[in-house]
Amino acid sequence: MLWFLRGLRRGVVSTRYPRVSERDAWARALPTPPRFDSERLTDELTQELVDVCPARAIGREYRALVLDLGRCTGCGRCLEVGGAAVARSGVFALAVRERADLIKRIPIRGGQT
Amino acid sequence: MTSEQRLAAELRERSMALFGRSLHVRTLDSGSCAVCESEIRMLAAPHYDLHRLGLFFTPAPRHADLLLVSGAAVRAMDVAVHKTYEAIPDPKAVLAIGACALGGVYEPDLFLHGAVDEVIPVDVYVPGCPPSPLALLQGLLVAVGRLEEQVSTARFDLRAQPITLREDRDARREPENA
Repeated sequence: MLWFLRGLRRGVVSTRYPRVSERDAWARALPTPPRFDSERLTDELTQELVDVCPARAIGREYRALVLDLGRCTGCGRCLEVGGAAVARSGVFALAVRERADLIKRIPIRGGQT
Repeated sequence: MTSEQRLAAELRERSMALFGRSLHVRTLDSGSCAVCESEIRMLAAPHYDLHRLGLFFTPAPRHADLLLVSGAAVRAMDVAVHKTYEAIPDPKAVLAIGACALGGVYEPDLFLHGAVDEVIPVDVYVPGCPPSPLALLQGLLVAVGRLEEQVSTARFDLRAQPITLREDRDARREPENA
C-alpha cells in the first residue's frame, strides 16, 4: 500500500502552474522577448536592432527604444546583433488586459550624451 | 486541501459570481499557422491538465464563456469571427492568442486585418509565438480574474531588478525525482 501511494505521488507529472515549482524549470528555456541594457544602447545599435527585427517589435522614439512585447516572436535575432546590450528575459507569462501595457520604452543612455 | 484544490475552488467561486457555472472555452482560428492551436491542444494534455482549474473545451460557441482567438484576423474569416462572438452568451471574455493576433507578424493589408482587436473587442492579450501552454494558462487565469498580470510590474531593462519566479515552498519540502 505504501509503495502504491509513493508511486502515485512520484508519478504525478502535472504542472502546478500558477504555483511555481521545479517541474516547470524547463519553462526558463522558452523563447522569450529580450531585455535591453539602456546604458549600452546607442543610437546606431538601436537602428540596427530596429532593422533586424522581422516582427516590427522593436521601434524607436526620440532617445528611446520601444519594445512591443505583443509583436515579439522570440526569434532571437536581436540577441545576435545586440551583444552585451541584449539578453533573454525569460519571462513568458505576459498576458495583459491592456494592449498598451505590452509596449515598453527603454531609454537610450549609451553613446554620445 | 491542496493549493490546487483551493485555487480551483476560488476559480469556481469567481466564475460562479461572473458566469454561474464552470468555464467553457471555445477556440477560434482566424487564419493562424496552427502552432497556436497545437499549444492550445496541449492544455488538455495531462501535463497541463486544464480541467484541474475548472476550465473545459467546448466545440459549441453557444456553450462557451471564453473565446480564444488565434491568427492574424484574415478578412475572409470576418463573418465567422463575428458570428462566433455573437453566438457566445454574455458574460464572455475574448483572449487574443499569439503574436499574429496582437498585430505582430502581418501588417494590415487587403487580405487581413493584422490584429484581432480590429474585428472584435479583446479582453486579454497573450503574447508569444506561439505562447507556451503555461502562458496560455496564465492568460486564461488573468481573464477570469484569478491571477495578477505580471508584465505590468516586470521591466525589460537589464539594469532593473531581474524577474524571479515565486518560490514554491512545498516543492522544496518534498524533493522531486528522488
